Amino acid sequence: MSRVVRAAVFQTAWTGDKESMIQVHEQAVRDAAAQGAHVLCFQELFYGPYFCQVQDPAFYEYAEQIPDGPTVKRFQALAKEHGIVLVLPMYEEEQPGVLYNTAAVIDADGSYLGKYRKTHIPQVKGFWEKFYFRPGNSGWPVFDTKAGRIGVYICYDRHFPEGWRALGLAGAEIVFNPSATSRGLSGYLWQLEQPAAAVANEYFVGAINRVGVEELGDNDFYGTSYFVDPEAQFVGEVAGDKESELLVRDLDLAKLREVRDRWQFYRDRAPGAYSPLTAP
Amino acid sequence: MTTALEPALSIRQVLTLERVLAGEPEVVAGAGHLDRPVRWVHVAEAADVGVMLSGGEMVLTTGVLLAGDEDKQAEYIRSLHRAEAAAVVLGLGRAFPAPPDVMRRAAERYGLPMVVLHRPFPFAELTEEVQSRLVRRKFATVSLSESVRTALTGIITAGAPLQRLLDEIAVHAGCPVILTNLAHRVLATAGERPAVDDVLRDWERIARQAGGGEGDGWVRAELGGRGEHWGRIVLCGYRGDSPVGRLLAERAAEALVLHRMLGTAVHSWEEQSAQSLLTDLVTGVVPARRLLPRVRAAGLPVNRRAFVPLVVRDGDPVVLDRVLRLLGLPGLVAQLDDRATALLLSLARDQDAQALAAHFATRLRKETAKGTPVVAAADARTVWEDVPAGLREARHVADAVAEHGAALDLPVVVRLRDVHLRGLIRLLRDDPHVQAFAERELDGLLCGSDAEPDLLAVLRTYLATGRNKSRTAQLHHVSRPALYRRLEAIRTRLGVDLDDFEQAASVHIALLAHDAQQG
Repeated sequence: MSRVVRAAVFQTAWTGDKESMIQVHEQAVRDAAAQGAHVLCFQELFYGPYFCQVQDPAFYEYAEQIPDGPTVKRFQALAKEHGIVLVLPMYEEEQPGVLYNTAAVIDADGSYLGKYRKTHIPQVKGFWEKFYFRPGNSGWPVFDTKAGRIGVYICYDRHFPEGWRALGLAGAEIVFNPSATSRGLSGYLWQLEQPAAAVANEYFVGAINRVGVEELGDNDFYGTSYFVDPEAQFVGEVAGDKESELLVRDLDLAKLREVRDRWQFYRDRAPGAYSPLTAP
Repeated sequence: MTTALEPALSIRQVLTLERVLAGEPEVVAGAGHLDRPVRWVHVAEAADVGVMLSGGEMVLTTGVLLAGDEDKQAEYIRSLHRAEAAAVVLGLGRAFPAPPDVMRRAAERYGLPMVVLHRPFPFAELTEEVQSRLVRRKFATVSLSESVRTALTGIITAGAPLQRLLDEIAVHAGCPVILTNLAHRVLATAGERPAVDDVLRDWERIARQAGGGEGDGWVRAELGGRGEHWGRIVLCGYRGDSPVGRLLAERAAEALVLHRMLGTAVHSWEEQSAQSLLTDLVTGVVPARRLLPRVRAAGLPVNRRAFVPLVVRDGDPVVLDRVLRLLGLPGLVAQLDDRATALLLSLARDQDAQALAAHFATRLRKETAKGTPVVAAADARTVWEDVPAGLREARHVADAVAEHGAALDLPVVVRLRDVHLRGLIRLLRDDPHVQAFAERELDGLLCGSDAEPDLLAVLRTYLATGRNKSRTAQLHHVSRPALYRRLEAIRTRLGVDLDDFEQAASVHIALLAHDAQQG
């Protein structure tokens, strides 16, 4: 039986300041809700620039408490007002000096469900993330929301199949992959890895990437956000590569069962043979 | 863009040449690799043959230096394999009366086709035959490449539109040709209509495959320049040799890049594509049902959808497109004329079409820096065939309120029911009786050497505001006494009493008819 979740992702360019960036995203919540979207996920570190292009302690101030910081509170109210599940990828300060690249998940009634902290932290030119974030320690939470069972896997995480699998085993139906990735560096992988993960784990994936060139570096963020189904088929068109764009797509979760009935990857996996994967 | 591959004969083709057949060839190893291309034919008796090769050669030998030494025989095959030779041909005779087992087994192991000639003949005859064919093919390919390039360049330099260029490419390819952007959205097509429609019917499936799928005979070439890709051309079901298909696709891609770089067209390919679709829909020159595959391939969802026809007056199509993206609304945008832009939204059937049209119109106003665009709409259509009528209705509504946006106090989305009498007059504007009526009623203001356009404008506002004097004065930036003087002048010239409802109504209808005729 079909069970349709109207899911949305939003890609946008850095506006120049945190408050206007938050307002742009608040408007996106209203726009998604106007279309009847049940869930909306923003891009990685959504209200800031992608400051990891430089290594500057000044950007530590973008971090907030989750869930007690002002931005989560603000979007909890908005989620409740519009009855929409929100995934908020943002900079988290657990305590001074203990910082994470995190996504908070808010249910459609505004309640805070929990957070995922990015596990794999890159440290390469243009992506100096180890300067800003500890590796995540949240494990692989899957959130039981009004819009279905949702997992989050942030940006660089996507290169590691193990986390995708862990989210699948925990029952994720839709996994969001909020990102900030640059033309030239990963363009050829962007439409390869997440569809492959969607097939291997037989769930829907929503991939989000910001757009534009920001003042902190040469990274040219190429957008092209999309949803892909458990057969690696794009759901509707892929977003453009330069402009802000809201993507709203109907995901029929019945497809998940249909594909899993056909391809029994979960039955046929062989965890007993995988111990080398967890050897230190 | 890569250069065209050199044309080649396959091993299989070489073995069917009459001269070769006379030598009674027998494939003794590597039979599964006979479709490999033969780039050249080389006679070599040397044991260290590999160093002389650069790959793709068919090597001919009598094996005279290999007879009696199995190590050398195996090494000979190994060196051919390392040098990526296409095949080895052994003439049986004094050195080897029968196919040598060691060589055959080695060739099989390496997947190297090995052919023996039971009735050997002078190798020179074979090299001459094959070489001349290879050269002829190469020349023919170069010649084809040049003739295609010349034809396409001629079309570009003549300033022909994109469609003309694509049509020419389709003539050379002999199959449907599809131009897409990176999102796999079909921007233009060429080729025989039924064949193109067949491809488009299946396009959604093809486009939605993450890797960008292709079937047999599908030849793609990327379009781009300055390090950026922005589209691709696809020959769908090319029936000739694949190297020639690739060559054609690459020449076509070069030409399209050149066309775009030199292009003087005001509209992008995406805009041109949407424009041709929506214009065909509005005018009805192509039945709506036949346009459905094109609409689907242009990226508009069509299954179980509600279509909302909108026409925006005085809206910038670029801003319209941006607002659609910001709101996440799937739609096609195309400029119909200088002031009217058509917009066809595709919504899920459970979505509130009226609310979303209003949401769109409100945001459009906010994002428009100058002026106030008028958004006219018809009711949502769930049957595709009803869409053209809906678009025409929306255009009619937009035209009907053309000049009076400010005075009419219109809702954010204007519908047929909002345009009342002016909608009817607009429909009747070409009727000679209506034209004669308008001229007769307004004669005093329209004719004569002292005709004043300002009085006509004041009259228009006065009537549109329901004879509200203070609102009219405000909209014309004049004092009330100044307005009274103008109204008095109008009364005198027309010889009517504007306070009399019937006389005012008559003048109002005449003015609406006059404006409709002007628009």
